[in-house]
Amino acid sequence: MKWWPIVGITKKLTKNETYDSKIAVEPLKLFKKSFHLYMIDVGNSNQLNFEFYALHTPRYNIHRFGIYFAASPRHADLLVVLGNPTPQMVKPLKETIRQMPEPFGILLINGCDETGVDLENLKLPNVVATMRGCPTASEILAVLLKISGRTD
Amino acid sequence: MKKLLGVYHTNSDSEESLMIQEDGKIHIEFGNSKLFKNSTLIHERDKVIRDPLGDDNDVTGEGVFDFRYGPVTAGVGKAGVYHLFTYGERILRVKIDPSYNRREVDKRMEGKSIEESLNLAQNICGNFCVSHSLAFSRAVEEALEIEVSNHVKILRAVALELERMYNHMYVISRLAAAAAQLVLTSHLQGLFEDLLVVNEKFSGSRFLRNFIDISGVKFIPTIDVLKDVSENVQKISTNFSKLFEQSLASRNYIDRLHSTAVLDAKSAQEIGLTGPSLRACNVLEDLRKGEEVYSSLRIVTDEEGDSLSRMEVRAHEIIESAKFIVESVQKLEIEDRNVNEFLPSNDGRGEGLGACESPSGSVVYHVDIEGGKVKKLYVSTPSLFGFAAITHSMCENNIFTDFPFAVESYGVNFADAAR
Amino acid sequence: MNFMYFTFLFFVFGALITFWKKTSYLMATFASVFAFITSIVGLNAPFSSGMYKIFDGFELSVGIDHTSSIFLLIASISWFAIALYSIDYGVNYSKKMPIFLNAAFFGMFMVLTAKDAITFMIGWEIATIFSYLLIMEHKHSFKEAFEFLAFGEVSTISLIIAFASLYFKNHSLSFVGTHGTWLFLLMATIAFMTKMGIFPLHTWLIGAHSRAPSNVSAFLSAPLTLMGVYGLVRALSISGQPEWWGIMAMIFGGISAFWGALQAVAAKGLKILPAYSTIENDGTILATLGLSITAFAFQINVLGEFAMLTTLIVTFSHVITKTLLFLAVGHAKEALNEESIDDVRGVWKAVGKIPAFSMVISALSFSVFPPLIGYVAEWMTLETLFQSYKIPSMTARITAAFIGILLALAMGMAAFSMIKLAGYTALGYDHEKRAKKIPHFNMNLAEIILISVIAGAGFLSPLVVKLFGYKKFLFGLLGVPKPFLIVSSHPIFGVVSPTFLAIVACVLGIFPAIFYLLKKKRVRRVDAWNGAIALKEGEYFSAPAYSFTLEYILRKVYATKEIKSGNKRYVSVKDVIYDMYYGLNRAVKSISNVLSATLMNGHIYSYVLYTMIVFIFIFFISR
Repeated sequence: MKWWPIVGITKKLTKNETYDSKIAVEPLKLFKKSFHLYMIDVGNSNQLNFEFYALHTPRYNIHRFGIYFAASPRHADLLVVLGNPTPQMVKPLKETIRQMPEPFGILLINGCDETGVDLENLKLPNVVATMRGCPTASEILAVLLKISGRTD
Repeated sequence: MKKLLGVYHTNSDSEESLMIQEDGKIHIEFGNSKLFKNSTLIHERDKVIRDPLGDDNDVTGEGVFDFRYGPVTAGVGKAGVYHLFTYGERILRVKIDPSYNRREVDKRMEGKSIEESLNLAQNICGNFCVSHSLAFSRAVEEALEIEVSNHVKILRAVALELERMYNHMYVISRLAAAAAQLVLTSHLQGLFEDLLVVNEKFSGSRFLRNFIDISGVKFIPTIDVLKDVSENVQKISTNFSKLFEQSLASRNYIDRLHSTAVLDAKSAQEIGLTGPSLRACNVLEDLRKGEEVYSSLRIVTDEEGDSLSRMEVRAHEIIESAKFIVESVQKLEIEDRNVNEFLPSNDGRGEGLGACESPSGSVVYHVDIEGGKVKKLYVSTPSLFGFAAITHSMCENNIFTDFPFAVESYGVNFADAAR
Repeated sequence: MNFMYFTFLFFVFGALITFWKKTSYLMATFASVFAFITSIVGLNAPFSSGMYKIFDGFELSVGIDHTSSIFLLIASISWFAIALYSIDYGVNYSKKMPIFLNAAFFGMFMVLTAKDAITFMIGWEIATIFSYLLIMEHKHSFKEAFEFLAFGEVSTISLIIAFASLYFKNHSLSFVGTHGTWLFLLMATIAFMTKMGIFPLHTWLIGAHSRAPSNVSAFLSAPLTLMGVYGLVRALSISGQPEWWGIMAMIFGGISAFWGALQAVAAKGLKILPAYSTIENDGTILATLGLSITAFAFQINVLGEFAMLTTLIVTFSHVITKTLLFLAVGHAKEALNEESIDDVRGVWKAVGKIPAFSMVISALSFSVFPPLIGYVAEWMTLETLFQSYKIPSMTARITAAFIGILLALAMGMAAFSMIKLAGYTALGYDHEKRAKKIPHFNMNLAEIILISVIAGAGFLSPLVVKLFGYKKFLFGLLGVPKPFLIVSSHPIFGVVSPTFLAIVACVLGIFPAIFYLLKKKRVRRVDAWNGAIALKEGEYFSAPAYSFTLEYILRKVYATKEIKSGNKRYVSVKDVIYDMYYGLNRAVKSISNVLSATLMNGHIYSYVLYTMIVFIFIFFISR
């Protein structure tokens, strides 16, 4: 039996890192301190899902930036689209966007696999940033911070 | 016991080329796939996954409805649909539709050059990158009769074990999260991220992407890097074993997993299940067993066949893999660093079968190469059989709250199943 | 007094002019209005008509006193709504229905105005027999109707015994100036409890209520069970207030309420659920009446009177709300022609806003939503039970405590079952089914009137209390002017003011409402979020699934079985009391088989022997 609170205070799980990104972003300044995002897998190779799972870990500790994962698009400020949609996922993707409360933004992450429908042809509304390839969790976090309008 | 993993060529009913796994060895056999109970599952793998040992019809009755979970949910978070038939709480039958994630990667590989195909093979499932590229490489190597040096074999094994470690860590942390063991989850997630960092050190990619190459590896880590990796893996393994032991003391964690989604060995074999989930049913079967580089590896099994067993097998495998990596790095230090360069040519031809033990079971590739290009390809993925095992083991005795424990414990994903 | 005769007259008139169905129902509506006026008159000035001598020893007398006025008031509202509703609803039924309905109302009116046992019995039998005929109006309901009649006759026989014992004691059958024995009270209680459908005599009620045409269901559930309550109150006024009766009533009432609520939760049929809810409400009524009598038995008159007031308010709430519920459910059932809760989804869209709103309001009232009348009733019930500590008898106190637990559980489960009913039918997802066109103006009118009564009586419940003649429980305190505060005892034990609650809620609601209306937000309508694909038929969460958890947890009580046959899967639950009657049925059959084989075997000797034995037996008795 350990003294968990003391372990928790003494052990620092969070990485000491500064997050910066060069990707062009339209910031949604409304959500500086409470930024809720919903991620939708539209048929990527699962690598981006894993990368987002890594973003959940205490190494990144995204809650300190006020970033949270919402359980429904109706609670979210930003929709993160993972991968290029398979033909079957185009309709659900559009429906998900329809369910987003305004104002909202969409972050597109293409992924490494060039499969599926091209996201640019779909003409999704309110796209605030597009990330190509398979970004790492740190890169994603940097872009999220930029979108939320935080500078730290 | 013979397991049918795939049917890659059909002439008539009795003349089909069957991919068979028997006692941890993969081979090709001619015969009738209908003699295997999972034949329909394999033939209809792109449409819908049903329980191969159960009834094909949907359940009906007063109050019975299809609780559709997917394709966009925060709980699963992946593009696929679970159809849970229920009259409230009890799961009567499960149907899984992976078609939302069908990208036809395997189809697109046909007609491509070997390098391009290798790259595409990684895209079938991002978190089984090494397994897929390794199985594909082995198939090509068999087809073109390429020899692989011992050094490369060890390096590939290390990469494969690194992949196994982070995938298992992911599964166990998901299970802990489903049981709301928040402290444990956070620690496991931390270790998961650490493993990704180790991967990056080892191969330059957090998911070991573009590491395996035909006849070799694309990138040979220096001794210093290997030592660093070995040290880190050792540390993570020690931390993990501590956490694991402590987690087993928590009754309300264990109770959620115990006797959830029980699968017996016979059904598991008939479904075609491989990997840690099969070993959790007390079947000692592993593709790594026959390989020379793995001579010192201990294969872990468990008896119950429930979610807890599957979790424990994975936990022990993390520790065993770490041990293996540390030993291998010591071997690599004294080994000659000779790598055969693969020279693409336009006249290579032949058929080859390649397989490897991915974190969730056997990944098998059969390739037919002609003129340096992939003419025909068949890939058998472990997630298909994992999902089939979910549909079988979750019926009747499980309720909705068992769902995450059943699904996560198999370590399967739609990308791998749908390809 | 004239209004009373008008009522009788109009009911008779309505029964006679059955060739014009609508006019006939209209007559019943007028008669109900006269009945209402009679009750208002009676509340202020009780009257009696004197004796009508038919022949020697056979006299009829009618009249209204305070008790019967209250019950008549409650019944007349229900009659009015049912008769008005039937003008449209009766289109699909035969021309016999208005005769039966008018006659049954006539019988009930006679019961309520009866001053002596003979009149009472005549009214009672008329009501029973015509109710039986009304149930028969629905096709294939012979078994249920017969069951109703059988239980009805059980209650008649018990009543005859009770009145016989009354006659032997007093040599008079009048209700005034006579005193009943314990036998009278016991037999009368059995009779009236059967009518109220008190556990374990409730099985007839489920079949009859769910099988009958919906206006008849409303009539059976609300005014007819009211007759049972009236009978009990009347019988108690004749026999005095013994403690044993109070405790017995509490036990039966509590168990009945609990059992009814429990079975309502598991009910799948659209009208079975309200039928079980009736049993629950009648149980609550009996329990509070029992507590009232217990309190009177120990001369704790304030508690006794408050408990009696509670009984009246709960009865009022039950009768009005249940009438509305059955009428609304019947409206939807008739329009969609479906039987189960699951198949009548989306009433709001498919049938109409008024029936859907009626279901919601009645369900809210049963789920104790302030300031509806159901809220006042349940508050009073709990207040009554909380005060049971004042009773000196340990037995009564322990009983009241346990019954309190049962009633509280019943209230909780009632809310659960009402969410199931209204949530799936009125507010549930649309089935894409459209209702068939039926005339519905009068149906809607009847429903709106009942909604206003439920809301109005809740909002102005102090006035209802005053109308019932319990002014002493009205008070003013802390800024709430007299008489808008209902108190549960003197000195004050607990207080409630639904009027002020409603006013405060309205005032607090005004500002958000103004804010909302001025802001004029753009509204975007989307489907319910369900994994990004709209729900298909067969993917909707079903009503049986809603209650399965409880059915599984209480599987010993429900005898829950998960049935599997091929690809068909379902959950079976049952009311185990049915098994009891089934066993009884089997026993009677086998005994009669044995008797017919031994005694009535067709041999002349056995008949002679039988006659001899009976002769000797009678000889010894009459000697």
